[in-house]
Amino acid sequence: MLYRLWYYVRETLVSLWRNLSLTLAAILTVAISLSLVGASLLIREGAARATAQFQEGVEFIVFMVADASPEQDAAIRNVLDSSPAVSGYTYVDKAAAYEEFQRLFADKPELIESVTPAVMPPSYRIVPANPDAGNVAEMARQFGEQPGVKEVATATEAIRQIEDFSTRVSQALLVAAVVLVGVSTLLILNTVFTAIGARRQEIEVMKLVGATNWFIRIPFMLEGTIHGLAGAALAIPALYVVDSQVLAYFQESDAVPLFRGFAVPDGFVWDTSIWLLVIGGLVGMIGSAVAVTRFTDV
Amino acid sequence: MIKLEGVSKIFKGDVVALKNATAEIQRGEFVFLVGPSGSGKSTFIRLLNREEIADEGRIMVAGKDLSSLSSWKVPYLRRNIGYIFQDYKLLPKKTVYENVAFGLEVIGRPRQVIRQQVPAILELVGLARKAERLPDELSGGEKQRVSIARAFVNRPMILLADEPTGNLDPGTSVGIMRLLDRINRSGTTVVMATHDRGVVDTMRRRVIELDRGVITRDESRGVYE
Repeated sequence: MLYRLWYYVRETLVSLWRNLSLTLAAILTVAISLSLVGASLLIREGAARATAQFQEGVEFIVFMVADASPEQDAAIRNVLDSSPAVSGYTYVDKAAAYEEFQRLFADKPELIESVTPAVMPPSYRIVPANPDAGNVAEMARQFGEQPGVKEVATATEAIRQIEDFSTRVSQALLVAAVVLVGVSTLLILNTVFTAIGARRQEIEVMKLVGATNWFIRIPFMLEGTIHGLAGAALAIPALYVVDSQVLAYFQESDAVPLFRGFAVPDGFVWDTSIWLLVIGGLVGMIGSAVAVTRFTDV
Repeated sequence: MIKLEGVSKIFKGDVVALKNATAEIQRGEFVFLVGPSGSGKSTFIRLLNREEIADEGRIMVAGKDLSSLSSWKVPYLRRNIGYIFQDYKLLPKKTVYENVAFGLEVIGRPRQVIRQQVPAILELVGLARKAERLPDELSGGEKQRVSIARAFVNRPMILLADEPTGNLDPGTSVGIMRLLDRINRSGTTVVMATHDRGVVDTMRRRVIELDRGVITRDESRGVYE
């Protein structure tokens, strides 16, 4: 068993080495495409966090004072339930608001320590029937005058711009990434095919003496999988660079205060890294599997 | 050991390689397949190894019906069949020892078995002293001995040989035939396709003659013609 394992490892390494230039090309292509996948995921997540409160058509948020009376609360709720101008709303209580605060500022523990659930203002997130900016401003003004309301925040043009920008950037990156992942798969397929070609004689002899198909295929499949995993491994540092340079640049920009929330927790970067390894491994396995099943049959 | 019943093989473009062939070969027999080029000798051999599949009829090899044998079992069939070629099919970058060991390695034999069996078989074929040579450094006859060693190292029940003396001078051929004869006497069934009149006439073994895919003669102690 151990001997067989050694055989696979040895054959795989020999083949990788013989095919060095194609191997490097395949690994680099995987690395570049997976870097783009990762960057796209990070930017999307950053934007989602920066604008988390204004998702799904929410155009303005009515923040109640922390000690609003039940009557004040009921009055607001009554208006929301009966007004035809409101198409929907969600209520975020103190506990939920605290939870969200913790999530948004996961990187800033000193900020989290400074608040408790009790001081968090409960809020209504409102989806208006007509999202036109003038209409939203008028509604916001009316709610602002109600007793018990602390303030009304509207989804400003800036938020729309962030969402727009991040959607466009992350989608463009994703499209490029998908194309490149396809290219990587083909390149791995070709590299493995070349490796098979280089060992055609050996494969012929192996078949004649009764080596099983899997025995013949495994070193080639390992080779492709290594291309994919090595590429992913190179893409992970790129992910950390995107996190520490690009996202940090947004956070430090004073132009738009909302960009400050443009951060992703380390856990997300870590999770994304794992995903890149999984994708890389799969790309390699699929590329090499196609090559071996097409070119090594009995 | 080997049984063909009404076997036909037709290639693309209606090339009839074998037509309604019926023959039975017992364990331990030595059989020559003779006939002109294109008469179907190679196809006969390739069918036995299941490199080709018959279009009609039934082929039994070592107790297995090849037409119904699923393809994942083919490698296990081939472990019972040694195969030697006119062009040896040695791996040029491996030494004599490594070429023979390769045959055992790739069917997952343990290392101790390989260390034991390879020197023994090299001794048998008379190449013990050339174990570390590369194929390029050997004569034709020596290369064919390596090829026989690789085919026989796993002690198969059947040895198939496709023109094994085709590239060798008559003197060298005699040596190779002695070796095959010795292997046959140890109980291995040998089926050998050949053009080599001298070899067939000297050995006086069973001869099956093919002509355009049809078996025209089957004699137990035959000559080339």
